[in-house]
Amino acid sequence: MANADKPAAEEPEALSFEDALERLEAIVDRLEHGDLALEAALATFEEGVGLSRRLGEQLGGAERRVEVLLRDGAGLTTRPLDLEPE
Amino acid sequence: MLSDDAPGASATHGGLRVLRVSELVAALRDAVESAVGRVWVVGEVSNLRRAASGHCYFTLKDDSAQLRAVMFRGDASRLRFDLEDGLEALMFGEVSLYVARGELQMVIRDVEPRGVGALRLAFEQLRARLEAEGLFDPANKRPLPAYPRAVGIVTSLAGAALHDVLEVSGALWPSLPLLIAGARVQGEGADLEILEAMQGLAGRPEIDVILLVRGGGSIEDLWQFNSEMLARAISRCPVPVVAGVGHETDVTIADLVADARAPTPSAAAALVVPDQRALSERLVRDQRRLGVAIDAQLARARVRVAARAEALRHLAPAARLAAWRARLARSGDRLRGLLEAQLADARTRLAIAAGQLDSLSPLAVLARGYAIARRLDDGRIVRRASDVAEGDALALRLAEGSLEVRVTAPRPR
Repeated sequence: MANADKPAAEEPEALSFEDALERLEAIVDRLEHGDLALEAALATFEEGVGLSRRLGEQLGGAERRVEVLLRDGAGLTTRPLDLEPE
Repeated sequence: MLSDDAPGASATHGGLRVLRVSELVAALRDAVESAVGRVWVVGEVSNLRRAASGHCYFTLKDDSAQLRAVMFRGDASRLRFDLEDGLEALMFGEVSLYVARGELQMVIRDVEPRGVGALRLAFEQLRARLEAEGLFDPANKRPLPAYPRAVGIVTSLAGAALHDVLEVSGALWPSLPLLIAGARVQGEGADLEILEAMQGLAGRPEIDVILLVRGGGSIEDLWQFNSEMLARAISRCPVPVVAGVGHETDVTIADLVADARAPTPSAAAALVVPDQRALSERLVRDQRRLGVAIDAQLARARVRVAARAEALRHLAPAARLAAWRARLARSGDRLRGLLEAQLADARTRLAIAAGQLDSLSPLAVLARGYAIARRLDDGRIVRRASDVAEGDALALRLAEGSLEVRVTAPRPR
């Protein structure tokens, strides 16, 4: 599905982690193949750098993000879960 | 001849009292009710007919005898399972005589299946029914997302199952967003709470998969996971559901209808949470390949430019050579300048991204000389001096190895 010959999806932010990773690897394969014109290669490289930065951000660090879904009147709300056991 | 045929009056014939049919049948009914009355009987259900009213009519039989039986709607609806032909059961009720027809019948109030328990029978009946409808069909099971944006968890907020799931997901990918919807996981009405929790999570756009987990227990404890209403809700849930209910040997209807089944809550978490470290390594490898590939392409471009320049020098008349050479040099410089500026920018960004990845690792923090202090007694991380008292034992985690130390002088400020 990720094809480095085609321009990036109009909204790269909308790509799922899986699709972004696949696209990054398709870009790497394409560049390694070495048959792109120089200008296209540079544009592709730029996109690859952008994707790898975003994937790095999504991988995140060691900070936990655990929330509890709660009923709030007719709707729902969330609050962080206290992870330190008492 | 009747000595007196006036209606309502007693008659005799040949010295014996003459009875009306209704009087005779009523006398028989009284005799049966007083002689037998309420009784337990063991037998097999056959010729079962469920009337539109909800009453169940059947024949109760053994090898050599049979008796009409009826179970009224109210009593029948209290059974966990459905009456069915061939069911061997112990039944409680009263024997009576249906006056209008003059027929003996037993009014059944309660049924206890023999051999298997009532819950097991109800489970098998529901399982067979839903299986016939295709709810367990592997073709209807949805694939799990390889990298969920966020994971929903339905379980008791107080249970060990939640603890297990948090531990496993924390080890695999600490920063993966988790959203927990609490629900009772046993007792009457828990199936509705679970269903509502699941729907609440499914309404969140970031949730790509839902874990439905509960620790082990008896068939009664796990009974709410055998709810038909819950089974249908799982099969209709817009995102895939992974069930991890009980231990390896416990199978519930929820397990069967879920898109994936894990033997325990921990295993359910391991099934959906990707390994962050393996992904980081893969990403770093991709970044390195990206840099190497663009460097190679630029090197090839330089070689081609040089080769063309050489060719031109041989072909061009001497007079035009200088002009060509000057133009070539100018455009070559411009091209090189342009590429190098773009490349330098991209390299900087790549280095920053790689650096960010590295600096976020707790191991990198430790390598810079920091240490993580935990209280030895409860393992809690010490964040401020007031967390400890003199004499407390601490474990210090270092970049390499760890130390056990004792606090001699806490200085809260």
